Amino acid sequence: MIKQRWETRPLEIWDRAKELRAKWQKSIDNRQHLLAQGNTVESDWSPGFEKYLKIVEDNPVGAFMASKSHSFARRARLASEVRGWGRELCGYVNNCWGAQFLGRDMDGGPFPYRDMCVPFPDVCDQHLKRGQQCMDLSPIPRWGGDMPIYPGERDPKRDEEMIEHRVYCNLKIIADIERIFGIEFDDERFVENIKLREKLSAYGLRISQLMTQVPTPLSAKDLYSFYTLGDLTKLNPEEINDFWKSFVDEVQWRADNRIAAVGGERYRYMEAHPPAWYYLKYYRYLESYGAVCIGSQYSHIMSGTLEVKEDGSLAHRDVTPPADKPIRTREDAVRQWITEARGNRFKDDEYCRKWAITDFARGFKADGAIMALWRCGVGCTLTRKEQALRLSEMGLRVLHCEGSQPGDRTDMDEHGFLDRIDAWMESQGLEKLDDR
Amino acid sequence: MYTAGIDIGLENIKIVILKDASVAASLTAPSGGKERGKRAEALYDEALLRAGVSRNGIHRTLATGAGKFDADFADGNIVEEIADAAAARYFLKDASAAVDIGADQTRVVSIGADGAVTETVRNQKCMAGLGLALEYMAERLDFSIEEISLIPPERAEGVTVNDGCPVFAELDALELLNIGVPRDAVAGAVTRMTVVRLNSVLRDKDFPDRNRTVLTGGVAKNRAVTDALKALSGIDFVIPESPEYGTALGAALKAAD
Repeated sequence: MIKQRWETRPLEIWDRAKELRAKWQKSIDNRQHLLAQGNTVESDWSPGFEKYLKIVEDNPVGAFMASKSHSFARRARLASEVRGWGRELCGYVNNCWGAQFLGRDMDGGPFPYRDMCVPFPDVCDQHLKRGQQCMDLSPIPRWGGDMPIYPGERDPKRDEEMIEHRVYCNLKIIADIERIFGIEFDDERFVENIKLREKLSAYGLRISQLMTQVPTPLSAKDLYSFYTLGDLTKLNPEEINDFWKSFVDEVQWRADNRIAAVGGERYRYMEAHPPAWYYLKYYRYLESYGAVCIGSQYSHIMSGTLEVKEDGSLAHRDVTPPADKPIRTREDAVRQWITEARGNRFKDDEYCRKWAITDFARGFKADGAIMALWRCGVGCTLTRKEQALRLSEMGLRVLHCEGSQPGDRTDMDEHGFLDRIDAWMESQGLEKLDDR
Repeated sequence: MYTAGIDIGLENIKIVILKDASVAASLTAPSGGKERGKRAEALYDEALLRAGVSRNGIHRTLATGAGKFDADFADGNIVEEIADAAAARYFLKDASAAVDIGADQTRVVSIGADGAVTETVRNQKCMAGLGLALEYMAERLDFSIEEISLIPPERAEGVTVNDGCPVFAELDALELLNIGVPRDAVAGAVTRMTVVRLNSVLRDKDFPDRNRTVLTGGVAKNRAVTDALKALSGIDFVIPESPEYGTALGAALKAAD
């Protein structure tokens, strides 16, 4: 038996989350809309087209394949690779678009071909290439908005210009879609959705704040199961808002009553970037040592919960970005959602990458860190070793592990990883709780 | 009191039997792949015989190494880094770092004043199997392990192989042979590659103390590698007489705790 230090219990909201996920899958399968290969950041306008258009991220599709059918995912990736798409491209993408090349989905049905694509506009990794596969196969419109990056000192004036450029890109995408497909954008619905989105940000912030508590009421593994609902997997905004409100209420209750995510919590570790999505069992394995993952800059910043303060530190926002200007028009709404010049990707900014991680470690009371060295793409390893040195100087023990892209387990030495975890834990004097 | 340490590595099994912290017997043999559990047990019995002690006479036996979970007959197992640290302190009382270079893995262990492990580094994939690569190259170049161990990097005379990955290095070495480069020059280039890769692991986190670092593992028997590594890193390694037994010895020492 694992030694229990804190009371723990499963989240009650799990079943509701599963229902939402199933509903999202059905919405793609039913195919009553135009389908767009989209992305989280640059498609928040999609509710304005909700009568006609369904945004489908390749991340959840590819992840679903990787988790449900390894053999199908392998066939799909091979189909992608023989067309020249390397393994440096995200495994989710190669799973998803490999299935497109095969012409069928995991369940044997026809692949739901897309009508347009709006890839993630990130200059620093492989995201921008994502839309190319589906565009090349069956020429469809593709929009790649810009994500301006400036690696120098922060300059508010420059940031303002960068925001304006992103606003322009998004307005143009909306106008182009209206023109090319002859469909009408519902500005009122879009404005409503952006207002709702502000509420979601506040929920995300609260949950992130609660995860700094010892014991944490929610682990990173739990968080990863929920945070795509409403973000990567876009559903009815009101329904999502209602779900997140219930979720926050439950996590708050757990925090107030010291209900731990991991009953044996005695060691808190952080990560730097996405985990090995196809091998999340390592979270459970670490729990046997009483170690709980409290997330990463990736998981917490994805929902915009952290910001660089005036004194240069990285910390939770005091409040979510206030709607300090009235949101009446399409342009107001776009400007409201694009609050960061560098988007929510500023975690990758060379300016703050080396030091922000130490602030994160302090804020979340981390004892150690797993710094994955993923091959290219999401989790680009740039400065990862330097970050590890900064954390070591703080007294955190850092474990490095290597592997391939999300959704592609071919390059992951699973046994070797567990062996490294044993060495990491035991050399810090921690034994498995059930061995004691 | 007798204790035993068994290091089941990718290539070889090493066993050390200690009697009151002195080596009573040590033995090594190829690991035998998937049969390594049985091989280890047979070797264990042979080592006991040499030490003149029965299984019942052993206070505790600890297994370590990549195959440690296959040693069902052991009383338990410990992670390699803890064994490395214990062995380093055995060879050098105030050792502050242990470096072990094996057939597959390279580890760097920082040791605190109290002997506890304070930091560990394991090699990344780009240098996995470094010891094996050296062995394969010796065979391919028609040298014995002992012969290639005496060929320093200087013999390469400007010839180089890829120093980012042992697999690429082997491919480069074959190409050099195909175009007629003398085999001792190729061997020198392979030694240089090995040293460059090792030096990068030493510099990963805590750089080991220049005078208080113990070097163990099978590759530590390669004189050309260790001399070149000392020169490149500036570390004056303490290398025990039989470095391949280092981790097994550490396990045997921890078995007495």
